[in-house]
Amino acid sequence: MEGGYSPGRFGRALGWATALYLVLPLFIILPVSMTDQRFLSLPHEGLSLRHYAALFASGEWFASIAQSFWIACASTILAVSAGTLFAIAAWRINRRATELLRALMLLPLIVPSIVYAIGLYRYFGWWDLLDRFAGVVIAHGVTGIPYVVITVSTALASFDVRLEQAARGMGASLRQVLAWVILPRIMPGIVSGAIFAFIHSWDELVIVLFIASRDVFTLPRRIWDGINENQDPIMAAVAMLLIVFTTLLLVVDLAVRRRRDG
Amino acid sequence: MSAALELRGLAKRYGSFVAVEGADLAVERGSFLTLLGPSGSGKTTILMMIAGFTEPSAGQLLLDGQDITALPPEKRAFGMVFQGYALFPHMSVAENIAFPLRVRGQGRAERDEKLRAALDLVQLTGFADRLPKQLSGGQQQRVALARALVFDPALLLLDEPLSALDKKLRAELQEELRALHRRVGRTFINVTHDQEEALSLSDEVAILNHGRIIQKGAPAALYERPRSRFVADFLGKSNFFQGVVRELGGGWLGVQVAGLRLRQVVDGPRPGLGAAVLLSLRPEKIAALGAEESADNIVEGVISAWSYLGAGFSLAVETALGVLRVHLPAWRAPFVPEIGAALRLGWAADAPTLVDDDDAA
Repeated sequence: MEGGYSPGRFGRALGWATALYLVLPLFIILPVSMTDQRFLSLPHEGLSLRHYAALFASGEWFASIAQSFWIACASTILAVSAGTLFAIAAWRINRRATELLRALMLLPLIVPSIVYAIGLYRYFGWWDLLDRFAGVVIAHGVTGIPYVVITVSTALASFDVRLEQAARGMGASLRQVLAWVILPRIMPGIVSGAIFAFIHSWDELVIVLFIASRDVFTLPRRIWDGINENQDPIMAAVAMLLIVFTTLLLVVDLAVRRRRDG
Repeated sequence: MSAALELRGLAKRYGSFVAVEGADLAVERGSFLTLLGPSGSGKTTILMMIAGFTEPSAGQLLLDGQDITALPPEKRAFGMVFQGYALFPHMSVAENIAFPLRVRGQGRAERDEKLRAALDLVQLTGFADRLPKQLSGGQQQRVALARALVFDPALLLLDEPLSALDKKLRAELQEELRALHRRVGRTFINVTHDQEEALSLSDEVAILNHGRIIQKGAPAALYERPRSRFVADFLGKSNFFQGVVRELGGGWLGVQVAGLRLRQVVDGPRPGLGAAVLLSLRPEKIAALGAEESADNIVEGVISAWSYLGAGFSLAVETALGVLRVHLPAWRAPFVPEIGAALRLGWAADAPTLVDDDDAA
């Protein structure tokens, strides 16, 4: 912000304190993950990478990481297709009823996920989707839709309607307008939505606790179990990897946005 | 000449609001028609109905005698230049111009050839790989024109194509647009609120107000023979005199205006004795008379305000007819204006026009 008022001493201190508060838990994880002890703790005598080594040697953890990754990918595809199509339809039709529908699509964000999870448990029981890859994908995909709807709707709000008119006026069919004009223009919004939907699935725990038990054992689930059962510092190592991975995704999102705005 | 496009009783209503009512218009093939009117007069609504983006509430649209009223815009495929151009920002100049060809699934060789010809037409060869945002306003406008013409549309629609440009560039592009129209020989339909643009570009102008087409004709005919007060006032400036017919001559009237008897030529239907009439007189048709000079109509006055416009003087002269607005060419002005100076003004009996007083409507 050039030319803005510079904050006072108090404001500056408050700002830094808030930022510190936000990142402090992350910084605790780093030394814990490098502890030389056998349980979750700060390092006593020296730093060690043995827990990272153990992580990479462990088949269980790797299986969970792979499973989480594939579930996140599949549910992202689901959320992006459904969310994008809905956002475009709502934008084109644009009546009062679509506003209502839009609010409905945001429900998974509003309803506490534990309530959602209980409901899903009931239905998935009937449909035999409990503890299934497909079940978790559907659950994560549906709860990921709001992120896509929000980012794509935002991208569409700044889309110049005349571009669509121009394309149609030149003889383009609806499909051509969509593929060549609308989608390329809102792609940054779609990518943003996809990244958030992916992260949502990647670290989702509450729903998984309800609808999965043994066959589907995602990474957050394994961390959760690890903390409850054996306090293994391997979890801190996993958490570090997660943080790095998520940060990378957010940097990609930032880069995409910058390219759109530039 | 046959009509390329015909509007029959076209109307658009939004609830009780009437945007366009009873629009009848025949556009000749190869001509340049301008819809001219103040904002909110319905000119853009008519253009959008022609393009197919707005559905008419009533009436018919005919292209070469075929009813196209129900056809969606992509089936009509008229070339269109939008206000602000609506170039695809994520495509290069070449991709933008080739878009209508790509939509039609034309082969690469054919596409490239037409693209080259289109770039040539608007003198943008060498700009093919640029993005729209790397072009100036005038260049973007030319890309929009090339894109609208590249697929040989039956009609080219222009929605205030020059309004985003500064004055000098606008004048340049007016000339270019006129030349382009002559070169491609297509039917152009233009929408504008700029009367100078309408006069200089068009073969024909249709003037709109409150959703109705008020008068249509060649620019000079409209300017010289406005039928109503609105047209006379909107297209240039005018002095208006309210008078009563007191004398009928052969081809002329004696009109009593505020104690003065004016001689007025009529070529249309003649109002009877005692009829109230409205005269419209262009400021540039009033002359400052020397002491011995004479004219059909003469009025004495005093200059109450004046300004110098380079090419001429604009005077406000207090007379028995009220304050007259007068334009004198500077090089021929017989004097240097001065507030309070006395002046004899005169004009020919055929200089003013009888117009309808539609201002109350």
